Amino acid sequence: MSGWCETPAELAELVGGAVRARDRLGARTLGDAAEALGAAAVRWGTDAQLLADLPAVARLSPPLVAAAVRIAAAAIDTRAMRALVEHEFGAGAAGRPAPRGPSLIGHVLAGNVPALGVPAIALGCLVGAAVVVKSGHDDPLSAPAFHRALEAVDPLLAATVVTAYWPGGERSWEEAAFARADLVVASGTDETVAALAGRLGARLLAHGDRVSVAAVSREGLGRDEPLLERLALDIALHDQRGCLSPRAVYVEADGSPSPQAFAERLAAALDAVARELPPGPAGVEERAALRLLADEAEWEPGSRVLNGAGGLVVYDPRPAFRPTTGRRTIRVHAVNNLAALPLILAPGRVECVGLAASGPEVAALVPALRALGVARVCPIGRMQQPALAWPRGQRLPLGSLLGRPGPDVLEVEG
Amino acid sequence: MGSAVSLAAELVAAIATRASFEFEAWAQRIFRHQFERNAPYRAFCERRGVRPETVARWEDVPPVPAAAFRRAELACGPPEAIFRTSGTTDGAARGRHLVPHLAVYRASALGAFEHFMLPDGAHLTHLFLVPSPELRPDSSLARMCAWVGEAFGRDVEWLVGGDGLDVERLLARLADAERCGDALLLAGVTSAFVQLFDVCAARRLAFRLGPGSRVMDTGGTKGPERRLSRAGFLRACWTVLGVAGYCCVNEYGMTELCSQRYDSVLRDRFDGRGLEPRRLLGPPWLRTRILDPDTLEPVRPGEIGLLCHHDLANVGSVSVVLTEDLGRAVAPDGIEVTGRAAGAAPRGCGLLLAELGLS
Repeated sequence: MSGWCETPAELAELVGGAVRARDRLGARTLGDAAEALGAAAVRWGTDAQLLADLPAVARLSPPLVAAAVRIAAAAIDTRAMRALVEHEFGAGAAGRPAPRGPSLIGHVLAGNVPALGVPAIALGCLVGAAVVVKSGHDDPLSAPAFHRALEAVDPLLAATVVTAYWPGGERSWEEAAFARADLVVASGTDETVAALAGRLGARLLAHGDRVSVAAVSREGLGRDEPLLERLALDIALHDQRGCLSPRAVYVEADGSPSPQAFAERLAAALDAVARELPPGPAGVEERAALRLLADEAEWEPGSRVLNGAGGLVVYDPRPAFRPTTGRRTIRVHAVNNLAALPLILAPGRVECVGLAASGPEVAALVPALRALGVARVCPIGRMQQPALAWPRGQRLPLGSLLGRPGPDVLEVEG
Repeated sequence: MGSAVSLAAELVAAIATRASFEFEAWAQRIFRHQFERNAPYRAFCERRGVRPETVARWEDVPPVPAAAFRRAELACGPPEAIFRTSGTTDGAARGRHLVPHLAVYRASALGAFEHFMLPDGAHLTHLFLVPSPELRPDSSLARMCAWVGEAFGRDVEWLVGGDGLDVERLLARLADAERCGDALLLAGVTSAFVQLFDVCAARRLAFRLGPGSRVMDTGGTKGPERRLSRAGFLRACWTVLGVAGYCCVNEYGMTELCSQRYDSVLRDRFDGRGLEPRRLLGPPWLRTRILDPDTLEPVRPGEIGLLCHHDLANVGSVSVVLTEDLGRAVAPDGIEVTGRAAGAAPRGCGLLLAELGLS
C-alpha cells in the first residue's frame, strides 16, 4: 500500500485496503510486529536516498538530518517495543496478538520535526491497528521511506500502513483518509489541532503547542560532566523546532558558575555544536524574529545578549518564561531555587524538563511537575532523544490509542 | 528648552515647504539633537560607537527597535502627549511614544494626509470609524483624525463610541449621503469597515456614495474579526459603498512614528499617472529602508527585509525605528508591507476596536 495517490478516491481505496490487510493479520503476535518494526527501523536509518533528499525539504542541514534520523531509528528498538507492550498490556503481551482495539488510526503529523511518522506507524502497529499517516509539510519523505523499509522486511504488516501527504486543511483528502478512522492523533499548533477538533470531534487525540525547559541546580552546576555541551546539543537538534527543544534554562543563582557566566559558556558551547551540526537555512521571517528578539533584549534592564554563530543566548535575570523564536535561541534565567520552577512555568504548556540536579532534588520536583502537566523529566543531553515509551501529553503511548483513560503519566528517565 | 522649541518650529516650517525639504541636513541635525537630549538613545548609540561626528550620511544613524519603546522613555524633553501602541495581551508591554512637540506631529500628519488623500483639495464630510480622542486620548490615530477633521472636514462625525462602532448611525449617515448625493470621506480602522461590510451583507444593504467619496483604512485585520484580503476589501468598498478602488487608500502608520505612508492610487490618479503598481508612499521627511535582518544592510531591490523608517517628524524622540514589519521596495518611491516577523505579537490600530471589546 505505497502512499502516492493522485486523488482522494485513490487514497480512500488505499486506506480500505490497509484495513482489510489488518484484518488478515489475524493472530500475529505483538512480538512479531516489534521484530519487523525494529528491522525496518534499522533499514530506514541507513536509507541513503532519504538522507540525501530530506535536508532540502526539511530545511535542516545534512548533519542535523543525519542525527535526527539516527535518533528516530534508535527509538524503534525491538527490545524497547517488547518492553513497552509488556509494560502497558501486561506480562506476556509480546507473545499475544494486540488487544481488541481500533481497526484504523489516523495520524496528522506536525511539520516542525522530521521523522515523526516513524513512531506514529510503530505505535499504531503495536496496538494492532491499520495506520494512515498524513506527513507534515516539511517532511513528506520519512514516513514513506519507513513504509518502504517495512515492506522489505514484512510485506503483510506493511500492507496495513498508508502514508500520504496533502496540504493541511484540504477536506476531501482528510475525509478520504480519516472517514473510517476510529481515532486520529494530531500534532501541530493549537490553531491546527483546534481546526481538526471542529471536524473530528471526539475521535481526535490532539497534541498542541508545548515547550520544554532545562534546569540546573547548584549541585548540577558542579558536576564533572560536559553539561554545557549536552545542553547545547539539546538546543541545536532539529534547530530547536520541536516540543522537546529547550527554550529556557533555569540556573540556581548562587552556584558556580553564576547564571551569567553559564550563559556565556552556553553561547560558546552552541558555537562549538554548530561546527558539527550547522543550522539549516532560515527564511526572512525567522531571521527577522531573531533580530527583533536580540534587539528587544538589549533594552531590558539587566539582560545580556550573546549572539554567536551557533545561536542566541539571552541572559535574563527575571524568571518569567517567555517564548523565544527558535533557531537555537535560549534564555538563561537565574532562580534562587529550582523548587520555584513549578510556580514559574505555565500549567499544561511544558512537555519536558531536562534536569541537571541530584537524585533527591529531582525526586522533590517530580510531583509538582506532574501536576503542572509535564510528561517527561530527563537528564540534560537526552531531551531530544525520547524513547517510544514517552507519555506524550501525559498519556500512555499505547493505552491512549486504545481509548483507555490512564493516569497522568510523567516519565522520569535516569 | 529654547533651542528644542526653535528646532521644532523650524522643522514645522520646513515640512510646509514639502518638495524642497532637505532630508540629509535635517537628519544630521536631528540626530545631534537626539544624541544630546535622549539619554537612553545616546547610550544605545555609544555602545555602537556612533556619535554625531561619526555620522556622515543619514543612513549611518542607528535605528532603535520598535520594542525599545516598550522598555525605555525615549524622549528628548517633557512630552506634550503620550501615545500607546495597541495590543491584545500584556498592557504593561505596550509601546509608549512620548511626543514633546505635537506641532511637528500635526504638521507632518496633515501635510501627508492632504497630499495623498485630498490631492483635489476636496472639502468633504468626514466620518471617522475610530474612537475620538476623548474616548482614546492615548491613540495617535485618533489624534491624527481629529486634526484632519479640524483642518479639512466640512463636517466631522465620530462613529465609534464607548459601545463600539455605532452601526445604525453609520448606516443612517450613509443613506443620507446617498440620498443627497454627498461625497464622504470615511476614515477608520480596517476592522470597522469589515464590520460594516458584514452588517450590510447580512441585511442586503448597499449604497452609492456621491462622486469624489473616498475611503482611508488602516491597521489591517489583526483582531478577532473576519480576515479580509485586500482585494476583498476593495471589492466590498465598491459593492457596499460605491467607492471605486482608486479612491480607497490604505494608510500605514505606527504609534512610534509621527509620519505615515499612504497607498499611491489616489495621488497617482490625480497626477495622471498609471495606478500600478500600488505602493505605499510617504512625505519627503520620511524615508524607509529595507534591511537584511542579519546584517542590517539594505537588501537587494525587490527583496524582502525588515522595514526601517527614518521619520524626521520624530524629532522629539528617536527618528530611526526598526519595525517588526517585513516589506520590500516598490518602484523607486514606494514600499509594500508583506507581513510580520515570525512570532511578532499583533499590534497596531487594527486592534483598537478589539481592545474596546467592540468588534
